Amino acid sequence: MSILSMQGVTKRFGDITAVDRLDMHVAPGEIFGFLGGNGAGKTTSLRMILDIIRPTEGRIAVLGEAPGQEHADRIGFLPEERGLYPSMKAIDTITYFGRLKGMDAATARAEGMALLERFDLAERATSPIADMSKGMAQKVQLATALVNRPDLLILDEPFSGLDPVNQQLLEAEIVRAARRGAAVVFSTHIMQHAERLCDRLLILRRGVKKFEGDLAAAQGLVPPTVRLTARADLAARPGIAAARILGRDGDWTRYEVDLSPDNDPGTLLETLTREGVLLRDFEARHAALHDIFVHLVGSEPQGEAA
Amino acid sequence: MTKILLVAAREFRHIASMRSFWVSMLLLPAALFIAPLIHDLLEDDEPTRIAIIDRDPGPAGEAIAARLAFEDRRDELAALSRYVRRYELEAADPAAPWAVHDRALTGADVAAYEDAGGLEAALERIDAVRPDDVRDFDPPSPDYALVEPPAGLAEADAAAIEARRDTIFDRATAAGPVPDDIVLIETDADGRPVIHLVSRDRPDATLLGIVREEAARALRTQALAERGVDPADSATIEALAPPIMISTPQPGGGARETHVIRSILPLALAYMLLMSLLLSGNWMVQGAVEERGSKLVESVIACVRPWQLMMGKLVGTTAVGLSMILVWVGCAIVAALMTKGIVADLLRPALDSIATPGAILAIVYFFVLGYVMLSTLFLAIGVLSDNMNEAQGFIMPMMMIILLPVMYMLQAIVQDAGGIGLQIMTWFPPVTPFAVLARLGAGIETWELVGTAILLAAFTALMLWLVGRLFQASLLKSGQKSGIGQLIDRFRIAQD
Repeated sequence: MSILSMQGVTKRFGDITAVDRLDMHVAPGEIFGFLGGNGAGKTTSLRMILDIIRPTEGRIAVLGEAPGQEHADRIGFLPEERGLYPSMKAIDTITYFGRLKGMDAATARAEGMALLERFDLAERATSPIADMSKGMAQKVQLATALVNRPDLLILDEPFSGLDPVNQQLLEAEIVRAARRGAAVVFSTHIMQHAERLCDRLLILRRGVKKFEGDLAAAQGLVPPTVRLTARADLAARPGIAAARILGRDGDWTRYEVDLSPDNDPGTLLETLTREGVLLRDFEARHAALHDIFVHLVGSEPQGEAA
Repeated sequence: MTKILLVAAREFRHIASMRSFWVSMLLLPAALFIAPLIHDLLEDDEPTRIAIIDRDPGPAGEAIAARLAFEDRRDELAALSRYVRRYELEAADPAAPWAVHDRALTGADVAAYEDAGGLEAALERIDAVRPDDVRDFDPPSPDYALVEPPAGLAEADAAAIEARRDTIFDRATAAGPVPDDIVLIETDADGRPVIHLVSRDRPDATLLGIVREEAARALRTQALAERGVDPADSATIEALAPPIMISTPQPGGGARETHVIRSILPLALAYMLLMSLLLSGNWMVQGAVEERGSKLVESVIACVRPWQLMMGKLVGTTAVGLSMILVWVGCAIVAALMTKGIVADLLRPALDSIATPGAILAIVYFFVLGYVMLSTLFLAIGVLSDNMNEAQGFIMPMMMIILLPVMYMLQAIVQDAGGIGLQIMTWFPPVTPFAVLARLGAGIETWELVGTAILLAAFTALMLWLVGRLFQASLLKSGQKSGIGQLIDRFRIAQD
């Protein structure tokens, strides 16, 4: 059962199509990554899910119903552009957002304190946001998204601007939420996080979906490469689309080999062994998410036009 | 509704935590408290000091001195008469000149007052019948005081006095009391008095009139004596004057006075509405600008709908404004209690005009709806501006649009000069609440009241609808140039 689904969703701003016929779904307990460069339509998609803006066409179902603020009690949201009321105390800020999400004041406060303790901020609970460092304020904002233990956690570029320690903390919270059974949807253009965390991914390019599936399926889109060191000339052998020489060591030559579409590393190793080609090493390399992204989108993740 | 109240409560707490809120709220009571003290400090209750140098054998000098004393006594008697009439204390001595209010006070009245023991004796009789809650009589300060001429002027002529002008009026160096005016009376070659008035500043018109009248009277008496008329006869003839019967309204009565007193509370409410709106409107703009500037609005509208956020802000800010007014009204009540009867005397007729259920309903309706309507305009400024500098560019013209007609209106009501202009302004929605409140005291036609109430409701609804759309379209916008095109564009976006 999907906790979130989009069917044929299009959003146009005047002549600009920000999202074009997007289909996707997310199941409970799943960590789902929205990948794309700047201007790919990630934030627009997330805002439509939250009913901050409405789609021009298509259908969105959130928790089985049309999007709307009435679901706020089951949703957590961390926007890309972050900010809090500067004069408000940390715990009051979390309590306020908890109450906006339908919690009673005491529960929201207790949950807020638990989050601040987990984030090592309990001592600063009564500090105004203006007196906190940027990193501390970011943790408080994360707490406002988590305070209601949401069934659907939506994070827009959550890692941007975080230091490595806070990035780790955020990764842990994402995993924790998913283990609890929440669906986590986050947008990013930093591939390492997506690679580490996501059960499934969606890659967008200028509003158009280029891929949706798990990492293995994504890797299937780009043939693996093989790095090997051999004593023979590997050019023009069957099963090898291209062989690039990386270096030489006496009679030995180090190659990077692109396989033909119908070939795989195991078959190549078997063929070379059968043909008596002497090998000193052999390493199969699956495509990294970064390479897959470049392969699908045609540019570096950050390189998309805004 | 809960979310609207949550937003409103946060808005209220936020504004109430600002120092500027407390300063602004306490400023008006503080000003009201300090104003009488400053008034007392600034009030010129010093009498005009007059030195008379009389070198004429005639009676002019004495007559002037007597007349100056008479004027002060008559003022005192007139003030006592008004006091007795206001508090209905005539029973103390119905025949006394201060208990008769149907004619102008004459020299004979002043003489009778003096003969009966003056103020001290009068107050003794009045105190015997005065209820406890009636304030004490506060006699007016005398207008004139006779002083000795400065040393060395006894023999000086007009030219010599004029030559010493810089020193004789210099209070820093003078040893004794320095006169404000020196009246020098000499005799010319024909034996007639010649008067020189040497004044430190411009002499006041009343003094000039007294000097002229008394000198002329002395001349006439002298001329009549030269023609064989007995001075006693001429004095009797001079004193002849027809009694002038006067009919005046009770203190607090009379067309204009009644009009002003009946309008005091409605005018005060209109003024408080204006003050409170200008202050809370500014805070609302500041809050909206900060909210968008600190990029937190997206988090909020993921939980509440934009119209709920807007209504919450309006309710919160309106609550702030109304709280300020409650505090101000509370201070006014405390002031009324502390000043015993004085303010209460004023309030009683003032309350008469607005003490009917219909008037109270009209006041609450126009006050609250006016507050919401104008706050909506401030909110629109808040969502259209990226920073306070930009917002100031909108706030100033809007304040002018409200302030100028309201100021004109308040003044027109006080002067009872409300003509067709005032009626037209009543139908201009941004100032309708002020106009209706201000006109309530003097009276406003029922059809006009109902018509403007409907117009105000319709205009407020329209503003809420328009600003609601603008609010929704502007929340996530920033860094765009503000102009008519941009405004229309945002309304179009809101329709998507």
